[in-house]
Amino acid sequence: MTIAAIVFLGLGVVFGVIGNLGVLILPDVYTRLQASSTASTTSVFSALVAAMLTVGWHPMTGKIAVIALFFFVTSPIAAHIIARYAWQREIVPWRRSFAERRQLREHHDD
Amino acid sequence: MQSVTRWNLVRIAVTTVYLWVGWVLFTWSVAPRTLALGLIHSSVVALLTYPVFVEHDEAARRSHVPRLQFLAVYLLLLVFQMYVASFRVLWQIVRGRINPGVVHFRTRLRSDIARVVLTNSITLTPGTITLLLDDDHLIVHWLDARTTHSRYAWTLVAQPFERLLKRIWV
Amino acid sequence: METVLTYAIWFFVGSALVSMVRVVIGPSVADRMTGLNMVSAQVLAVLVLIAVRDGRSTYLDVALVYDIFGFIGTLAMARYFGGRTT
Repeated sequence: MTIAAIVFLGLGVVFGVIGNLGVLILPDVYTRLQASSTASTTSVFSALVAAMLTVGWHPMTGKIAVIALFFFVTSPIAAHIIARYAWQREIVPWRRSFAERRQLREHHDD
Repeated sequence: MQSVTRWNLVRIAVTTVYLWVGWVLFTWSVAPRTLALGLIHSSVVALLTYPVFVEHDEAARRSHVPRLQFLAVYLLLLVFQMYVASFRVLWQIVRGRINPGVVHFRTRLRSDIARVVLTNSITLTPGTITLLLDDDHLIVHWLDARTTHSRYAWTLVAQPFERLLKRIWV
Repeated sequence: METVLTYAIWFFVGSALVSMVRVVIGPSVADRMTGLNMVSAQVLAVLVLIAVRDGRSTYLDVALVYDIFGFIGTLAMARYFGGRTT
């Protein structure tokens, strides 16, 4: 039980680091939103699961389950609201140039 | 009893049951006083807010009842997909090899709630974010756009979810 | 287990602080909203972990309300800063 909780906390830490890194270095709103959705959803969900495993069968388990369920529903909706806002304000998504894309595709086929 | 009245009673009852389950989970006690208090409060709240939660039309009621065994499988699949896609996005961010693009496709789901759940699942899976949902037309931002072809994008992004969602909400 | 939870709490606090950088420097409103969304999610994790470590379930009520308000805040900001409302 404890080991599983520590594994989930470790997953949460890894995804949190990468999400923050992504939000800082990626080029435009949509890609940053991708990184933030990775970070905030997966790492916080892992932390909640770890908390649930730590307390075991306890009055707090139900509350954490309700919080996790609510988070599971609202987090993608919040991301979708921000993305829709950016899309309706006609912010153009960043793309790689044609040459770079062709190079990537050739790399992909290898 | 008129059918409209009956349907209104059903709406209130459904809202009450959902609120009450939330109450029981959140207080986590089965003492009779707590249960009774929760029932009273959730019925009062349900009386005030039932038009928001349950639809006015009775006609489409069959499309709102999920089949629970498929729903459980779907939730497990969703969590599993979330972790797999997270590792993929993590790898892409570390390598810096991202190729974002926007794809359009149409979904084949009929009921509204299934479409909303599909949108949420696509957004919850890292690597894809739904930008717009307009009837059955979806615009999706994809971090690793392997194609811009609509049909093929549907196969890659939405098909694993739709196969189950079709069975949950008929 | 207590020490592990303490380290995790400090990690999430630091991570939320790093996310604030995007809120401060973000060129557009949507960037700032992204950062705020992340900060609120990580503060939620901090609250839940504190509740588990100290064994106080009051923090969980705070966490639930915090989650609801973070969501409503995003919704209100998206409405307030315009965009076509369809």
